[in-house]
Amino acid sequence: MSVSRRKFLGWLTAAGLSGSAFGKVAHAATTKHFEGHPDSLGVLYDNTKCIGCRTCEAACNNVNDLPPPDRPFDDLSVLDNKRRTDPKKYMVINKYAGSVNVKTPLFARTGCNHCLEPACASSCFVRAYTKTESGAVTYDSSVCVGCRYCMLACPFNIPTFEYDAAFTPRIRKCTMCYDTRLVKGELPGCVEACPSESFTFGKRTDLLRIARERIRRYPGRYLDHIYGENEMGGTSWLYLSGVPFRKIGMREDLGITPAPQFTSSALAAVPMVVGTWPLLLMGIYAMSKRKDKIAKEEKEQALAEVTAQVKAEADQKVSEAWKKASQEKEKAIEAAVKQALEAAADVETEENS
Amino acid sequence: MKKRRSLLLLTGIFFTAVIVVFFTNGVQGVEEVTSDSPLMRADVITIDALKSLGDLEQPPVVFLHDLHTDAVEKQNKDCSACHLSEENRQSPKFKRLKDTSRQQVMDIYHLDCMQCHREVLKAGEKAGPVEKCGECHQGQPKAVSDKELIVFDKSLHFRHTEAAKDKCETCHHQYDEVAKKLFHAKGKEGSCLYCHKQQTEENRISKRLASHLSCIQCHRETLATNKKMPQAKDQKAGPIKCSGCHAEQQLQLIKRIKDVPRMKRNQPDVVLIQAVMPDVKRPKTAPTILMSPVPFDHKSHEKYNDTCRVCHHADLNTCSSCHSVAGKKEGNYVRSEQAMHQLDSDRSCLGCHGSRQSKSSCAGCHASIPIESKQQTSYCVQCHNKQPQRSTANLKPEQLARMMLKSRTAMTDTYRDKDIPETITIKDLSNKYDPVYFPHRRIVRRLVTEIKNDKLAQYFHSQKGTICQACHHNSPATKKPPRCYSCHGKPFNEAELLRPGMKGAYHQQCFGCHQQMGIKKPDSLNCVECHKEQKK
Repeated sequence: MSVSRRKFLGWLTAAGLSGSAFGKVAHAATTKHFEGHPDSLGVLYDNTKCIGCRTCEAACNNVNDLPPPDRPFDDLSVLDNKRRTDPKKYMVINKYAGSVNVKTPLFARTGCNHCLEPACASSCFVRAYTKTESGAVTYDSSVCVGCRYCMLACPFNIPTFEYDAAFTPRIRKCTMCYDTRLVKGELPGCVEACPSESFTFGKRTDLLRIARERIRRYPGRYLDHIYGENEMGGTSWLYLSGVPFRKIGMREDLGITPAPQFTSSALAAVPMVVGTWPLLLMGIYAMSKRKDKIAKEEKEQALAEVTAQVKAEADQKVSEAWKKASQEKEKAIEAAVKQALEAAADVETEENS
Repeated sequence: MKKRRSLLLLTGIFFTAVIVVFFTNGVQGVEEVTSDSPLMRADVITIDALKSLGDLEQPPVVFLHDLHTDAVEKQNKDCSACHLSEENRQSPKFKRLKDTSRQQVMDIYHLDCMQCHREVLKAGEKAGPVEKCGECHQGQPKAVSDKELIVFDKSLHFRHTEAAKDKCETCHHQYDEVAKKLFHAKGKEGSCLYCHKQQTEENRISKRLASHLSCIQCHRETLATNKKMPQAKDQKAGPIKCSGCHAEQQLQLIKRIKDVPRMKRNQPDVVLIQAVMPDVKRPKTAPTILMSPVPFDHKSHEKYNDTCRVCHHADLNTCSSCHSVAGKKEGNYVRSEQAMHQLDSDRSCLGCHGSRQSKSSCAGCHASIPIESKQQTSYCVQCHNKQPQRSTANLKPEQLARMMLKSRTAMTDTYRDKDIPETITIKDLSNKYDPVYFPHRRIVRRLVTEIKNDKLAQYFHSQKGTICQACHHNSPATKKPPRCYSCHGKPFNEAELLRPGMKGAYHQQCFGCHQQMGIKKPDSLNCVECHKEQKK
């Protein structure tokens, strides 16, 4: 069916107005600042204590039953190249050059930060990710469809995909040893293995307190910032460093908005759009269609009446004319008969005379 | 149909062209041709004299002074080839005494510089630019300054006093505001920097101008005099070229006198630092003494510092002349308590002592001791000594100070060998490694050796057991300090958030100390140097 421009614009306005009416409701989900489940756990990584021995990487490999690496964990020349996580390395340590204050090289841990409001969980439409109450962000491969939206969503670029496994690929990332250790009340592998206790494990609130106290006690040693306290809405994995974080390869441009908040307003509008717009637009369409139908009916009725009326008039005229005609015919016959009789009478008289 | 097909073809070609151009963009090398990184030189002068006369139209000129000094020397000329003199004072400006007008200054530079260059070129030597603007007015400077600032420390001062035969008036002067003249006030000499600041003020030239005019002039004169006297041919004078004072390599070559004889400025040997509050109502009576006095060994402290300015940062007077107890205007309202105790200052007592603790021989222990601004009384008493028992009312402050200093004791050693275990076997944690055979006594003896010549450490380590507190921390100093496992057990204890577990405690303590002291062996990354691997 062809729609007139006016009609189309009319529908558009109606839809838009209804949208703005519900617009304020869309932000309701994001006015609260989620500070983590109560008593949720986390890990504090202290860059000033890390010596880059890679014992944590070895422990991670061991606890998660990962295949042995190409180069052994005590080969420290591996640190000469920057590495990122991959399906066989849930966590990597990278080496960075020392600074003016710190002559020895610096190290940084890269791995899942177990955000308080994870972007991966927010982007997953099959709910493969769960932010557990213990603080760990876990992944369920049984529902995963392999769309890799989570890899795009993660601001730290952590989830890694098993490209080599063509038929059953999974996303792999640090799980904070949730299934293997945390549920049993044990420490995560990396935390337990580190000789210099660069990783401190405990409740996130306690870790923040420890970090602040360390900064207070040794102001010359630490930068006055706990990375992960507010970044991306807060992460369970916190970092302390002696140099600016960009010098150890960590992004400083993330801001404090949790990832889901960027899309929550648009996403919250979807049910509204899906629910109300079809009804609204169909209703308008139905109403306008009905209006047309009624108009048509009325028109036909009017037409019928007029036709009937005209027909009646015509009939009447015809019957009158017929009557008239028959009357005239009768008159004519009479006249003719009369004339004939007169003629006959005349003839008779003539004969008689 | 034909029209449509040709359109499709055109679109295809267009897209391919775009992609090809996009990907081959880098091949052409669209970026500027990067020149070599700029030369680092100590004699770079940026000529922007016109800045004070208006906006600069061209980038400032990068001028290499030593290069020109050498060139001028080759022509057997001296500084007066470029620098005019007035009343025996050389003007640091180029061929002029004052900046008159924009056009005039510009003309001087352009004409005189280029004329000299042309003459040199004519003589067949290499010379500077003669016509192209950009060769002098370099947008991207080809030479960058790596000038180091020279510190006129006591060694250099002594060499100068020797050369000037102890005539202080050669360099030191003061300004008489009334007579508007410079004069020498004997016994009141101070650092040049007390008056000559960063910028030239109304009647007072900047430290840069002052040092260049005085120092270099004197050096030149000495050189000229030496040249005239054949027997003094070998006698050298100070540098006259930029690199002589400002190039790092040349600075290393400056002779340093090891044990500089004490400067003769009538300074006290000992001082009694007292916080007093004068009675405003009764100024004649003795002021109230607010705190136990501090006997200060000024003579020893002179030895520990390279210049007087380290402590006497504004003038060579007593601290209390500007810093009173409540603070006064002359001292910028910095109270005497702050002046003596502020931890992050390099001229307060505590600040300086604190920065000594970052030496490698001290930092092994002191780096891990948290900075606490509130100290216990026992710490204060180490400086604010109690006055001796004998009647001291009639003693002059200096005598009292001397007495108190004499009564101080230094702790040079710790407990006897038999009280210090030789090795400690650490086997509490072994599951992967053998026990550690920790050479305890050797380490203690090493620490004692490190403080052998350090009077500061020897005084403040007031007890025999203080040095043990390096590792046996957070406990009192005793002969039998607590073992590590007394406090460090399982890690991540909620009741003791800041206490590492046993493994972490051992490694943090050992690694930390080794790193701070610069100890290469044992290496933190080589586990088996401390504990062998367990044979399975």
